[in-house]
Amino acid sequence: MKILSDFSNIFKRYDIDLEKVGQAKQISKDPILQSIAKFVVEGDEDGISPAVDEALKTKTPLDIINDALIAGMNEVSRLWEEGVYFLPQVILSSDAMNIGIAKCEKAMGKSMERKGKVVTHTAEGDIHDIGQVIVNALLNANGFEVINLGADVPVDKVVAACKEHRPVMVTGTALMTTTMTAFPKIAHQLKAVGLDIPFICGGGAVCEEYVTSFDLGVYGKEASQAPGMAEDALTGEKWSAMRGKWNG
Amino acid sequence: MARKKLTQMAYKDGAEMMFGTAKFPVTTKRGIVLGGGFVHPEVVPHPRPGSEKTMKTLLREYEKANGDALERMVIVGHPTLQIENEHIFQMTHNPKWGAEIAAQTARQMDDCLTKYGLKAAYRSTPADLRKPDMVDMRNSDYTREVLESFNECAKYADIVSIESMGGKEIFDHAIIRNDIAGILFGIGVLGAIDMEWMWDQIVAIAKKNNCIAGGDTNCSEANTAMFMAGGMTSKDVPHVMAALARAIAASRTLVAYECGATGPTKDCAYEDPIIKAMAGVPISCEGKTSACAHSDLAGNLIAAVCDVWSNEAVEYHDMFGATTTSVFAEILGYDCAMFNSAIELGYQQQMKEILVNSDMYRDSHSLILAPDNAWEVGNAIVQNRAKSNYASARAGAIKAGQIILGDKKMKLTKLENEALTKAMKELEALPDDEGTFIDDCLKKYKNVKGFNPASYGL
Repeated sequence: MKILSDFSNIFKRYDIDLEKVGQAKQISKDPILQSIAKFVVEGDEDGISPAVDEALKTKTPLDIINDALIAGMNEVSRLWEEGVYFLPQVILSSDAMNIGIAKCEKAMGKSMERKGKVVTHTAEGDIHDIGQVIVNALLNANGFEVINLGADVPVDKVVAACKEHRPVMVTGTALMTTTMTAFPKIAHQLKAVGLDIPFICGGGAVCEEYVTSFDLGVYGKEASQAPGMAEDALTGEKWSAMRGKWNG
Repeated sequence: MARKKLTQMAYKDGAEMMFGTAKFPVTTKRGIVLGGGFVHPEVVPHPRPGSEKTMKTLLREYEKANGDALERMVIVGHPTLQIENEHIFQMTHNPKWGAEIAAQTARQMDDCLTKYGLKAAYRSTPADLRKPDMVDMRNSDYTREVLESFNECAKYADIVSIESMGGKEIFDHAIIRNDIAGILFGIGVLGAIDMEWMWDQIVAIAKKNNCIAGGDTNCSEANTAMFMAGGMTSKDVPHVMAALARAIAASRTLVAYECGATGPTKDCAYEDPIIKAMAGVPISCEGKTSACAHSDLAGNLIAAVCDVWSNEAVEYHDMFGATTTSVFAEILGYDCAMFNSAIELGYQQQMKEILVNSDMYRDSHSLILAPDNAWEVGNAIVQNRAKSNYASARAGAIKAGQIILGDKKMKLTKLENEALTKAMKELEALPDDEGTFIDDCLKKYKNVKGFNPASYGL
C-alpha cells in the first residue's frame, strides 16, 4: 500500500505540539510527611500503607491527613489541571490517599471531617455510570463525602436521599436522551420539598440546553468540573448563580 | 450451535481485504447482498426524549424516523438502505414494544420494495440491560427480558445484534487506573465467557426465526476507552490504552462469529477490521458519519474495508434540509455511491489508500485499525486461539503495542509512550496459562464493587 512520508497537509498533531511537561513540587519540609505525600503523588498503594503506619508513631493522624495526604492530593490536582497528569494517575493517587486516610481515621477512632455531602446517581433505566464513578472519585479526593446511589436509580430514591442527607448539591449522569428525562422530575420534586440545591446533570447525550430548561439544573460538561462546582455549592452559591458561572 | 474456535485467518493478508467485498457475504430478506461486491448504507435513528412515554408514542416516533430515511433513499436515488434500531431501555424492558416497532418497520420496508423497488433491511438490537455489578448476568429479570426481546424481534427483523456487557464492572475499574491486566480480564476473559453464553442462545433464536444473527460490539468497554481517550487535547485516558483495549476487544467480539453469527457486524465495533481479517464476515463500520453521536480519530480510515457504512445514532428531529434521519441516510448513501463508483471504475485500491492515509498516523488507535495492521493483530489472536480466550486476547494486545512502538511514523507524546511501555512490560510479565491468570485476577479484583464471578460460571 502506498503510504505518504509527510502528513503535515492532512492532519496536525496538536497533542504532540502542545504537550505539557512538569513535575511535582516538594510538599512538606518534614521528610516523613514528604515521603507520604510522594506516595500519594505517585499513586503508590503498596508503599503508602507502611509509610503511614510508621508516621503514626511520631505524628498525629490529623497532621498526616492535612499535611501529607490531602496536601499530596492537592498537588496531583494541580498537575492534572495543568495537563501534566492523565485521569488514571489522579484516580491512583486518590486510591493511595484513601488508604492513608482510612489508617489515620482508625487511629483517631473517628472519621475525618468532610467539607460537605454530595449525592450522586445515574438516571433510572441507564446503566452507563463510569462518568459518575469518576465524579465520585474526584469529589472524594477533594474532601467531600459522596452519597453514591449507583446506577439505574428511580426518581423517588434520589429525592429521598437528598431529604435524608441534606447535601450541598446532587448530581445526575445519563448516557441516553431517553433516560435524562428523569432529571426534571427530580428537580421538580426537590423544589416541592424545599430543597433548593444545585442539581448538576451531565454525561453522554445530556446537553446544556436541556439541563438549563428546568429549575435547579446546572449542566456539567466534564466530570473534572465536579469538585469546583461542589466548592461553589459549599460556599452557599445558589443554583442560578452557578448556572451563570458554569454554563453559557 | 456450539462455539467453534477459529484457527485460520479468512484473509491471507491485509492487502487482500477490500471495502464492499467479504469472504462470506450475507443476503437479507429483501435481497441485499452484504459483502457481495458493494457497500450499503446503514442509518440508525434514535428517538427524541419524551417519545418513550408509551408504546404508542414510541411507535409513532420510529414510524416517522425510519420512514423518513426510507423515503429519502427514493428521493435521491439510492438503491439500498439498512436501518438499525438500537433499543432504548423501554423497548427491551417491554419486549412487545421492540417487536411492534420491528413489525412496523418491516411493513414500511415491504411497502417501499413494492412501490419503488427499494431494497431495505432492518437490524434490531436489543439493549443489554444486564449491568454486571447489579444483576446475575445469567439469571435475572433483565436477562430474561433481553432474551425474550430477541425472540420477539427476530420474527420481523432481518438481522439481530447486541452490545453485550460482560466484564464491564472490571473494565470500568481498570480503565481509570491504566490497569492493563484488568482490561484484559474484563474484556478478554469475562467478556468472552459472557458472549459465548449469550451468543449460543442468540444464534439459536435467529435460526428458529429465519433471521440473520448479526454480531456484537465491545461498545461498553473498548468504545468507552476510545471516547475517554477522546481527541488530541483530552487527558482522561491515554490513547494507547484505548488501542490496546481495542485489540483485546477483537478477541472478545470474535466469539459471536465462532458461535455462528454471520455478520453484518455491529457498526460501533471499531474492532471490525480485525474481525473481518479473522472471520471474513461482512462488517458494518462508522467513522466521520457518526460525528453526530461521538467523535473519533479514524473517520475515513475505518471505512477502508467496510461492507456497510453507518452513522452510529442520530436523534430524530428537524434540520434545515429535512429530518435528521433523512439527512444522514442521504449522506451515507452518497458515501456508498462514492465507494461503489470506485469499485466499478477499478479504483478501489486507490480509494482504500486515500482512506487509510487520511488517518493512519492521526492516532495510535487508528494505526492498529489500518488493514495491514488489523490483519497482523488478528493473526496474533487466531494463532493463540486454541490455547484460550486469555492467550489470544493477550497476544492481540501485545501485537498492537509492538505495531505502535515499532512504527517510526507513529508519534507519541511522552506520557503516551510511558503508558504504553509500562503496559507492554505488564503484559509480558503476565502468566501464560489462563487458569493462573484467572486465579490471580479473582484475588486482585475480589473487592471491585459488584464483581460476581458466578455470573461468568467462575
